[in-house]
Amino acid sequence: MRLGLFGKALCAAAALALGLSLAHAQDKGLENPRSTTFHTALKGKKVVFVPLSMGFDLTEGWAAQMRKQADRLGYDFEIRDPAWSTDAGTKAIQSLISEKPDLMVIHNPDIQSYARLLKQAQAAGIKIVQINLESNTTTDSYVGADWTEIGRKAAEAIVERCGAGKGISTKVAIDTGVPTAASDVFQLHGIYEVLDAHPEIQVVSQQATEYNPEKARSIMATVLQQHDDLCGAIGIWDNQDTGTASAIKEAGKSDQVFLVTSGGGNQVGCENVKNGLFNLYISYNVPLQGDLLNQEIVRLLMSDATAGEIQTMYFNPLTLITPENVNQRNCWTLDDLK
Amino acid sequence: MASSEALTRFRYRYLSGRLVGEILSKSWIDSAIPVAVLAVVLVAMSVLVPGIFTTGYVSDLSRQLAEFGLLALALTIVVMSGGIDLSIGSTFALCVLASLIGMNVLGLPFGVSLATALGTGIICGTLNGLLIGYLRLRAFITTLVTLVIYRALYDIVFPRLASAIVGNTPDSPLWDYLGFGDFYGIPISFLVFAAIALVIHITLSRLRPGWHLRAVGGARKSAYNAGINVKRTVCLAYVASGVLSAIAAFLFSARLGSTGADTGIGLEISVLTAVVLGGVSLGGGRGSVGNAIIGAILVLILTNGLIRMSTPGSVNQLVLGLILIFAVLFDAKWVKNRGKILSKVYVSPTYLALPPREDRDLATFALNDRLSEVETIGLGVVEGPEDVVLDADDNLYTGTRHGTIVRFLAPDYRRSEVFARIGGHPLGLAFDKQGDLLTCVGGMGVYRVSPNGAVSLVTDETNRSWLSVIDDSRLRLPDDLDIAPDGRIFFSEATIRYEMADWVTDALEGRGNGRLICHDPRTGQTRTVLRGLIFPNGITMCRDGQSLLFAETWACRISRYWFDGPKKGTHEVFISNLPGYPDNINRGSKGTYWVALLGLRTSTFDLAMRKPGFRRRMAHRIAADEWLFPNVNRGCIVHISETGEVLDVLWDRDGKNHPSITSTCEHKGYLYLGGVSNNRIGRVKLPDADPEWTAQRDYWGQG
Amino acid sequence: MTTRGATGSEIGSRRLVERLLRSQEGIVFLLALAAFVLFSATLPSFLSAGNLLVLIRSVSILGILALGMAVVVIARGIDVSMIAVMVVSVSWAFVITRAGYPFEVALLIGAGFALVAGIVIGALIAFGEVPPIFATLAAGSVIYGTGRTFFFTLEMQNVPPDTDWFRLIGQGNFLGIPVTIIAFGALCIVVQVVLSRTRFGWTIYAMGNNPQAARVTGLPTRPMIVAQYAISAFIAYLAGLILASSAAAINARLFNSTMIYDILLVVVLGGIGLNGGHGSVRNVILGTVFVGILLNGMTILNIDYTIQNLVKGVVLLLAIVADSLVNPRDEQTSQQGDL
Repeated sequence: MRLGLFGKALCAAAALALGLSLAHAQDKGLENPRSTTFHTALKGKKVVFVPLSMGFDLTEGWAAQMRKQADRLGYDFEIRDPAWSTDAGTKAIQSLISEKPDLMVIHNPDIQSYARLLKQAQAAGIKIVQINLESNTTTDSYVGADWTEIGRKAAEAIVERCGAGKGISTKVAIDTGVPTAASDVFQLHGIYEVLDAHPEIQVVSQQATEYNPEKARSIMATVLQQHDDLCGAIGIWDNQDTGTASAIKEAGKSDQVFLVTSGGGNQVGCENVKNGLFNLYISYNVPLQGDLLNQEIVRLLMSDATAGEIQTMYFNPLTLITPENVNQRNCWTLDDLK
Repeated sequence: MASSEALTRFRYRYLSGRLVGEILSKSWIDSAIPVAVLAVVLVAMSVLVPGIFTTGYVSDLSRQLAEFGLLALALTIVVMSGGIDLSIGSTFALCVLASLIGMNVLGLPFGVSLATALGTGIICGTLNGLLIGYLRLRAFITTLVTLVIYRALYDIVFPRLASAIVGNTPDSPLWDYLGFGDFYGIPISFLVFAAIALVIHITLSRLRPGWHLRAVGGARKSAYNAGINVKRTVCLAYVASGVLSAIAAFLFSARLGSTGADTGIGLEISVLTAVVLGGVSLGGGRGSVGNAIIGAILVLILTNGLIRMSTPGSVNQLVLGLILIFAVLFDAKWVKNRGKILSKVYVSPTYLALPPREDRDLATFALNDRLSEVETIGLGVVEGPEDVVLDADDNLYTGTRHGTIVRFLAPDYRRSEVFARIGGHPLGLAFDKQGDLLTCVGGMGVYRVSPNGAVSLVTDETNRSWLSVIDDSRLRLPDDLDIAPDGRIFFSEATIRYEMADWVTDALEGRGNGRLICHDPRTGQTRTVLRGLIFPNGITMCRDGQSLLFAETWACRISRYWFDGPKKGTHEVFISNLPGYPDNINRGSKGTYWVALLGLRTSTFDLAMRKPGFRRRMAHRIAADEWLFPNVNRGCIVHISETGEVLDVLWDRDGKNHPSITSTCEHKGYLYLGGVSNNRIGRVKLPDADPEWTAQRDYWGQG
Repeated sequence: MTTRGATGSEIGSRRLVERLLRSQEGIVFLLALAAFVLFSATLPSFLSAGNLLVLIRSVSILGILALGMAVVVIARGIDVSMIAVMVVSVSWAFVITRAGYPFEVALLIGAGFALVAGIVIGALIAFGEVPPIFATLAAGSVIYGTGRTFFFTLEMQNVPPDTDWFRLIGQGNFLGIPVTIIAFGALCIVVQVVLSRTRFGWTIYAMGNNPQAARVTGLPTRPMIVAQYAISAFIAYLAGLILASSAAAINARLFNSTMIYDILLVVVLGGIGLNGGHGSVRNVILGTVFVGILLNGMTILNIDYTIQNLVKGVVLLLAIVADSLVNPRDEQTSQQGDL
């Protein structure tokens, strides 16, 4: 039909009006399919954490962060606490293998006890992330400290302090934790890599304290009586080395003995660095590990790969804390993470 | 009043409450409680943790049970011997170390490693055994010290070899098979455990080493006096514990393939909990493999369930500690009080209403002194002549409470001799056709004595009734017997709930606890023919050859039971409402019967029998020797006719010789009297009796 | 007379030695003397004032705990829950302080908890008739579990800040002697006075010697048992405070260690037999000193820590063997189930 001038003007006005009315609606953007998937894909899944034990800074810290993410993304997070008992831990994992959660986070008491069980769990289709203490079995993922690297760094610091002619003597004491744990086996290897290259360093004592600060204290007290010109000490964990440090302090040799330890970097450890109980603290940074752990959990839960098909690992960077760089960023408290 | 009595009667008929007492008196009650607890825990776990009992889980559990169960068995053996072994955890750790050194570090073959582990266990156990068995040190502190020593050894050796242990895996298919193979779904380690448990069970319950162990644990001095080598038994108990720990350790190392610094720490507490929970008494001497296994299963399910519920480890410790406390508390109190509770709860009275005594009885049963001229036979020679009988040669036989049958020789009955020694307390006596003396021996059964004095058992058991909690296949109190014309022996068992020693307590119950039993010598079978009789006592054959009379003592009546003929299997009251408690019945001359009334009814006791609640409260609250009892001190003899009429009553008015009589025997014109609490037999002349009449002839004709 | 004087004293000393050899206490005393002499002669650093102080100090906490244990053992009991009570009550006191309460109040609350725990355990043993070994074993587990579940989460509790006076207890010196040793000495005197001069103490000996006779003659055995366990729990609390002060922290995991066996070692070595009835503070001091000499000597000899444990165990074993040979078990008053 032929439109007159008036008709054309009317049409144009109508079009303009329509366009204007359409323009009134806001620009509501686009749905991000990745975000939707991210927030819904994990709902209803089950993640179980089997720590060495609850009740100390490392596991409480990781657990707090994992719980936060579980709440945020809507999956189920449980803890099976063996309370330091390897036997209870094995039982927990065995029962989990029949319960079949989607993912387990395992903290190994030593490198062998859970090895077979982890293989079985992977074969049963359960994805596994190992945190900080490894086992002989490689699983879907590992997040944690590189113990060999810690050992090397600790030994290097000792060599610097107690090498030939540098300190009061070249005597060094090493206190280990549980001889079959990853923190011991691999760390000792790293320590001796360095110490073997410096044969003048004399290891006067190497004893296991089983993570018990009272035992560490007794051992160090004995060692100091036997060698009162001790130059340095390497401890494998800050929780037990409070005992070592207190023995050194009691003997009045805090200025003489250079104590290197490692730990998760929590506030108490930092306090001990500030007040001179620890001379060098190698932190593997629990909050950072917690974040990495969370990321691995999400990645594995969302991945279509079968359990054990693809194996990754990430040894997180270490922070060397000395009295000079004790600060808010390097140290954390449990309340921060909750 | 009538309605309340009817209500009482109804209530006591159906809700008697006697089951509680009977169940408590069972010997397996000690084990029943842990089983009940286990059942409760299983139910609780399956509710709290849904899906807990899947096949995979049960298979895991059985593997754990294999190791833990062996340790529980080890500790059970030691506890049963009266000791304790706190070093069990450290021994376990050392044996694990030995197995792993053998398999992983040294690469020895399977058998050699097993031998190493067993050897370590034997050495550890022998040290304990020598110290505790031979040097007589105290078990607790000694095993505590060996715990420290073995732990120290472990702590010295383990760190030095730790890397070697975890670095190598042994190349032995048998090792892997033991660790996680299974046989049609059942783990191999569990089968090994089951086999060992079976062997130990048989040894402990049926073989001499087990009896020695129990004896030493239960009563050490007595065991020593009985000639058991106490020191060696105790030492071997610890060696056995060491061996079992070694086997458990070997299974553990096969399953896990490695060991940690904390292996075996705290194990002694959980094994001790398992053993105590399972019902093994800490005092020693009591326990079984079943107890150990139940306890082990309980502890395993509890710990696994708690872990599964994601409870923090500290809560597990709390729960297990509380359970141990309650278990030991209960054990202590139960062992102490069981006897007390049982004696209170066992007596379960019921309602028994006797018809009120009639006035006509006053005349019939008037007191007289017919028994004053009695002669005494065997005064002071016999004790407890409950029944008397005479043979064809006029010799007098009676049973005594010393378990003998004494014969008094005719014609003066001054000489006596022990005719047979049987045991128990021979009660009812009767001669059969061949002249053998049959007797019901209270506490033992029915026995036969041949004319030359040889004793043989007739029967001491009958068929067990399905619904009775008490095992009534055994005869507790066979009382009187008589022999049917075809040779069948009918005898009464007065009560299945009480033994010979406290038969009078049955009176307090007034319950039909007795039965009539028949033994057929032709087939050798014994069967119960009538149940639920109220203290059936005397039995005698009626002259029709098809029925017999039996007395129900506390019911004060005599009934007639037909065992043959058209009325077979039925019974009816013959005489009721007697003024006293009838005991034995025997035949008399001229077709009559003699009934002994062992005691007289009193209005008080009759009233008490209608108040079962009163009697129950009495049994609960007062000591047993203060209870109300029926009068069994004063009785009489009743002469009744074929049809149940009272012909005559004989009393001992002054009570000098025979105040209480339990049986009579008429023989050639004399009546012989026996009493279960007398120390003499009486003989009184019956002026109008047939002077040639003997029971022998009445039953069997001549001879 | 004068010629015999010299031999008289010789005979006297020989008789003394013989008498000493007849009791286990005597044997241990002679051994301790021998070890002391041996170490002083052969080890250069042994016989110095500093070393001797270190020796006593290292075992004084053990000695304090042994005092508590001795009170219970003399009365024929045993208390293996001392470590649990110690760590839980002290940890709780620290947690309460960090939660904002004044430190002194928290210490009182901790003491109260220890006393309550001891009373409950004593009641279990006295009125529940549970054998002491099981009651205290299980109670230790329960107390530790309760503590970890309800009172504190972290096992390691540092001494709260701003409590400098507290630090003095464990790490301070008074007239050159560490306060720990002074505390031990003071407690020794108190316990000895109670045991030897009060009726309470005499009752303890009576109960240990023959419990049935004690009951029958009217002694209040059951309240006494409750009191004993309350005392041992309280002494454990005090020991825990000193321990926390000297290590600047208290670790609840001590419960899992073998410390309780060390306490028993001191008690039994010192000569207090486990079937009760005899013993005194002198025995505890002897045991403590002997263990101290042993440990110190082994340390100076450079013996590995784990081997020291083995030596401790073997020494204890020899001590109880000697004890049983010298004090054979009295079959008259020992009972079935007397473990």
